[in-house]
Amino acid sequence: MGIVHGDLMTLNIGPQHPSTHGVLRLKVKTDGEIISEVEPYIGYLHRCFEKHCENVTYDQVIPYTDRCDYIASMNNNFGYAVAVEELMKIKVPERVEYIRVIVAELNRIASHLLALGTFGLDVGAFTPFLYMFRDRERILDIFEVLCGARLLYNYIWVGGVSHDFPKEFVKIVYSFLDYFEPKIKEYNEILTYNKIFIERTADVGVMPPEVAISYGVSGPNLRGSGVQWDIRKNETYSIYEKFDFDIPVGSGIMGTVGDCWDRYYVRMQEMPQSAKIIRQALKAIPEGNVHQALPKKIRPPKGFIYKRTESPRGDLAYYIVSDGSPIPFRLKMRSPAFTALSVLGEISQGWMMSDVIAILGSLDIVLGEIDR
Amino acid sequence: MSEDQDKYIAEVVEKALRGDMDAINNIEDRVTRSKAKAALIKAKRLSKTAAAEAAPAEETAQTDTTPTEKSLNQKVAESLEKKFSGSIDSEDVNEHIQLNGKNWFEIAQYLKDNPDLLFDSLQCITGFDFGEGEALEVRYNLHSMTHYHAIEIRIKTDRNDPKVPSVEQVWRIGDWFERETYDMYGIVFEGHHNMTRILCPEDWEGWPLRKDYETQETYHGIIVPKVKEGWE
Repeated sequence: MGIVHGDLMTLNIGPQHPSTHGVLRLKVKTDGEIISEVEPYIGYLHRCFEKHCENVTYDQVIPYTDRCDYIASMNNNFGYAVAVEELMKIKVPERVEYIRVIVAELNRIASHLLALGTFGLDVGAFTPFLYMFRDRERILDIFEVLCGARLLYNYIWVGGVSHDFPKEFVKIVYSFLDYFEPKIKEYNEILTYNKIFIERTADVGVMPPEVAISYGVSGPNLRGSGVQWDIRKNETYSIYEKFDFDIPVGSGIMGTVGDCWDRYYVRMQEMPQSAKIIRQALKAIPEGNVHQALPKKIRPPKGFIYKRTESPRGDLAYYIVSDGSPIPFRLKMRSPAFTALSVLGEISQGWMMSDVIAILGSLDIVLGEIDR
Repeated sequence: MSEDQDKYIAEVVEKALRGDMDAINNIEDRVTRSKAKAALIKAKRLSKTAAAEAAPAEETAQTDTTPTEKSLNQKVAESLEKKFSGSIDSEDVNEHIQLNGKNWFEIAQYLKDNPDLLFDSLQCITGFDFGEGEALEVRYNLHSMTHYHAIEIRIKTDRNDPKVPSVEQVWRIGDWFERETYDMYGIVFEGHHNMTRILCPEDWEGWPLRKDYETQETYHGIIVPKVKEGWE
């Protein structure tokens, strides 16, 4: 971009910095104010998730999956439970499937609210952050009613869930949805169509679909680039095929397809879709015993499985190899944020320092899941 | 390893060979159990009586594979055999395709570009250790965003000198996935531009996810805590 090239300056962002969403260090080489190279250094939160899993039983892995992506713990539990169930060929009761979809979609809304709020914060909008945290708080309260925990739930187990819905729970969720759905308009007014916000994000950090696919980027980031890919629809699991919902993709309304604004807007449009799924599920939820299919001892037969699910950040996959014992022989977690961060160096070249922060915010990474 | 432990392991391995896997699985001590498992694998290899069960997991695995998936794997295997003869290691291609690593870069390029296959997305690279003294393996899960199909490729490599050609230039995400596999298993991906550790510190010793890994005692003068025994 720059015509006159000066000496490159090396600059460190992080590991402790509010805009890095955790403990991430970016080594940035700048030519004046133009970025010529960004190299992420990760591993500050590495806790040997995979080694740990080789030492504990299958059910003891679940609390650790909570702690990988601590923003969307339900979805992590869900993905793990689905993978082990498929390995063991367990069929869970209908009620459990509905409960799981409801809590996973609620958690998706909470996760997106946090992602959008902090993204606004990164580019200098403080108020929307408070609005979104206010509403996220209500979802956390709902989860507290459900299982006592606000962030790390350990709720979805292999073969079932830990508790059935408490009394009046359906009513609470309905009242939340009635409260939440009109709020989307409020967010749009305060942030989405804010002129400064558009200036800061539209046309910035464009990620073409080929680049996104080559880097394994998935979820809302990939859809922001205009690729219609959602595991809930394309490789459906659990009971997602029963629900009617759309997959929003980026279309470059404010700038180019695949810019920061598109990634932001895909998340914004996904929240009402999640609400739609929850409404359908609440309506159709059958009666049943949620502990009926819980296995006494989880001991999958010899074999392996690679199972993908759609977490709020993208394709969350577990590769599990069982040797027939109650302890996983090998468990690998394919984390969507890991692949999303790897693309940062590619798409932030040629932008200004402040744009790198915007691009990083739009990728919605969680370091707990990257480092595992 | 003390002599008592040796004796104990020999006993449980005897039992397991007679079909009582619980003898091993119920060992309280984590280290002893993994050692016993490794010994069991060796014993099986030697006796060759249970050749099919040699590896702890996969070979005998029975998972449901739909007919379409089977035909895809066979199709890929056939076209690879035609184009790169001698690159496929195993006849059995129902669940995965076992390559020997020769020409892997060219094969990867072919899998990505062939209009019938178009595996444009590398989903995951998983390192794998069969146990103490056994081979290491790299497993690639490929997916096509055009045809919506997926395959699994596996490449075995020697434990003492693990080397696999890098596919970083084919799928860009290979860069980080390969670094992660190197970090955890010490498998060197030849042709990678920056083969360094990614999650562990640069000067960490050993390959943590190998089955025979033992934690270093100190790191920069700080004592590395040992795994607590009997925490299961």
